[in-house]
Parts: sequence; structure tokens; C-alpha cells
Amino acid sequence: MSAKVEAGKTGSRWKLSLDTWAVLAAFLLALLVRMGVFKHVPW
Amino acid sequence: MADVVTVPQVQPVQPALRFLRVIPGVLLLAAVGYAGKLLEQNVGVYAKAHHWTFPNIEYVLWAIVLGLVISNTVGVPEIFRTGVATYEFWLKAGIVLLGARFLLGDILKLGGVSLVLVAIEIVGSLAFMTFLGRVFKLKPKLTTLLAVGSAVCGVSAIIATKGAIEADDEDSSFSIAAILALGALALFTFPVIGHFLHLSDKAYGLWAGLGVDNTAEATAAGALYSDAAGKLAVLVKSTRNAMIGFVVLAYAIYWASKGQAQAVGNKAKFLWQKFPKFVLGFLLISVLATYHFFNKDQVGALANLSRWAFLLTFAGVGLRTNFGEMRKQGLRPFAVGAIGEVAIAGFTLALVYGAGKIFGW
Repeated sequence: MSAKVEAGKTGSRWKLSLDTWAVLAAFLLALLVRMGVFKHVPW
Repeated sequence: MADVVTVPQVQPVQPALRFLRVIPGVLLLAAVGYAGKLLEQNVGVYAKAHHWTFPNIEYVLWAIVLGLVISNTVGVPEIFRTGVATYEFWLKAGIVLLGARFLLGDILKLGGVSLVLVAIEIVGSLAFMTFLGRVFKLKPKLTTLLAVGSAVCGVSAIIATKGAIEADDEDSSFSIAAILALGALALFTFPVIGHFLHLSDKAYGLWAGLGVDNTAEATAAGALYSDAAGKLAVLVKSTRNAMIGFVVLAYAIYWASKGQAQAVGNKAKFLWQKFPKFVLGFLLISVLATYHFFNKDQVGALANLSRWAFLLTFAGVGLRTNFGEMRKQGLRPFAVGAIGEVAIAGFTLALVYGAGKIFGW
């Protein structure tokens, strides 16, 4: 006997990829720098 | 008749809990990266004060080596692993922020040259890796995964291709292990060869971007040489990454034509799904910087934020590399990968020399 295993459906969820999260985070940081929240970032 | 067993889906982890889980690992990345920075600043001073001859070792190498030592001695405890895996996130955010240091004109000029070189590199590498896979009698899908990993962009390309051609988990584990091990070797050998051959920052940056597989390793190998070489390596590597969709689509169509993978329906949608979005982010920040949306101090601040993001990435490269785990994956795919990588490194170096002659670098 063979059995197929199916995951129960709970509806699709809207998910962002890691790439997109990284871009959003970088843009947020860039915006904060532009608005003067971070005036100087030391290195 | 096959029975269908429906398993209730596991409840997704709450976002707040997921966020809490990454904190220990991110703190470890920051601690290892910052320790690397402190070592860069202090070891040289200490050696000089004691009249020792000690080479100036950049924070990039310190961070990677510290990570490697931890990963290959005491290991990375479970509590840190989720956070350590975020190094890809920091890498991509760092690349987007690095866009502020490029003027659009430079990108178009360098990007045009690198696009031609990348196209030649991808075609040559795919053909050679396919040939090697046949010589070593590797499984065809394993050969495809190794070829895509070597020619385009390492682990991301392997993962994207695995899904599209319906390759086995075992094949993708083999390929990822081989590509990661060879990437770690490239980190240490590329800068040494570059210095030995007295390559200019431009030539070396192009070579690292074309020849090193994984984006994190290519970024680190470039930064180990010089800041300028690091910038160029990221640009060239991003150009390679941008090609991922086309290569994966071609392989998906090929395997579907053999009846061993699902046919691709909407090709434009497929390309968009596979396209690395951080390349678009990088270009957009560069456009904003070119049209003076940021002043000079703000560009400096964004560049430093990018350096901090890369610091976490370099620590992550060391922490996720475990040679013991890689050894378990077997020697044959590694041997194919190693021969292929050496050939690709030589081939891309010849391409860079050729381009240097044409453009007078």
C-alpha cells in the first residue's frame, strides 16, 4: 500500500522573499539617513 | 489504489517569536564581526609596539577566520543557528546600500563590460561543467545543479534550479556542499593569486566577481583585496546574479522537454520570480545617489551602513562553513566542482586579461 501525504490547506498567505525584505530594510535605512534621523554612521 | 492521508498543516510560527529566535544568532554575527574589526585595529599596533613583523590583516579575514574557528571547533549551538542564517539578508541589504557609492554612468559603463564578460563566463562554465559531469559519470541533474552553481551564483542558483528541474534533495545537498567548500577555498586563494600576479584593483574586482561562485564569498574575496576591488566584485557578481532567471528557465524547459520536470507556464512570471530583487534595489539607490537625492555626508553614512551589513555577512560566512559536514557529502561531486572551479578561475582570469588589453586597463 502506498500513501500520498498532503498538507492540509489553510489558505494561501502573502509572503515576501528574503530578497524583498532586504531591499525594504535597506530603503528604510536610506530614508532614515535622508530624513536626518541618522546624521552620522561611524565606521 | 493510493491512500491519501491528510496531515493538518503545522501552525506558522508567530512573527514576534520568529523575530526573537533570530536575535541570539544576529548578536553572535555582530560579536564575531566586531571582534574581527577590533583585531584588525589592535593586532597591527601591538605587533609594531613589540617590533614584530606581522602582515596587516583586514577585518574581513579576521571575521571569517574567527567564524570558521568557532564553527569547526565548538560548533554553532542550536540557539544561534536561525540568526546566523540571516547573513544572506545582511549581504543583500548591504549590496543595496552599496548602490549609493556608484554613479549610474559608472554602472552603465562597467556593467556593459561586465555583462559581456558574464555572458561568456556563463556559457563557457555551463559547457565545461556539463562535460566534466559526463566524464565523471555524475547523475545528469546533479551535473546541472553543479553547473548552475559554478556558472551563475552558487547556492541561490542551486536552490532555484532544484525546484525548477525537480532534482533530488540529495543532489542539491551534494552541490551546495561542493560549492560552499570551494567558495571557502576561493576566499583564501584568489587574493593571494591576485597579489602574486600584481592585478590592479579593477582587474582583480572583475575576476573575483566572475570567478567566485557565492555572492557572500565573492564580496569577501573582493574586499580582502581592496575597497575598490570589493566594490567592483559586487557589481560584477550582481550582473551574474541577474542572469539567474534566464539560466534556470533554460534548464527547466530542457528537463521538461525530457519529461522529467513540470513545463513552465508563464515564462515572464517565472523570470520575475527568479530575478534577484536586490539587484533592482542596488540600481534604484544608485539612481537616487546619481541625482543627488542624498548629500555627500548621507552617501558616506549609507556606505558605512553597507560596511556594517557586510561585517555581519563575513562573520556568517565563517560560522556557516563546517568542513566536517562537507566531508560527509562524498568526494566525487567535490572533485568535479574543484576541477571545474580551477578551470573557471583560469578561464575568467584570461577573460579579464583580454578585456584589460582591449580597454587598456
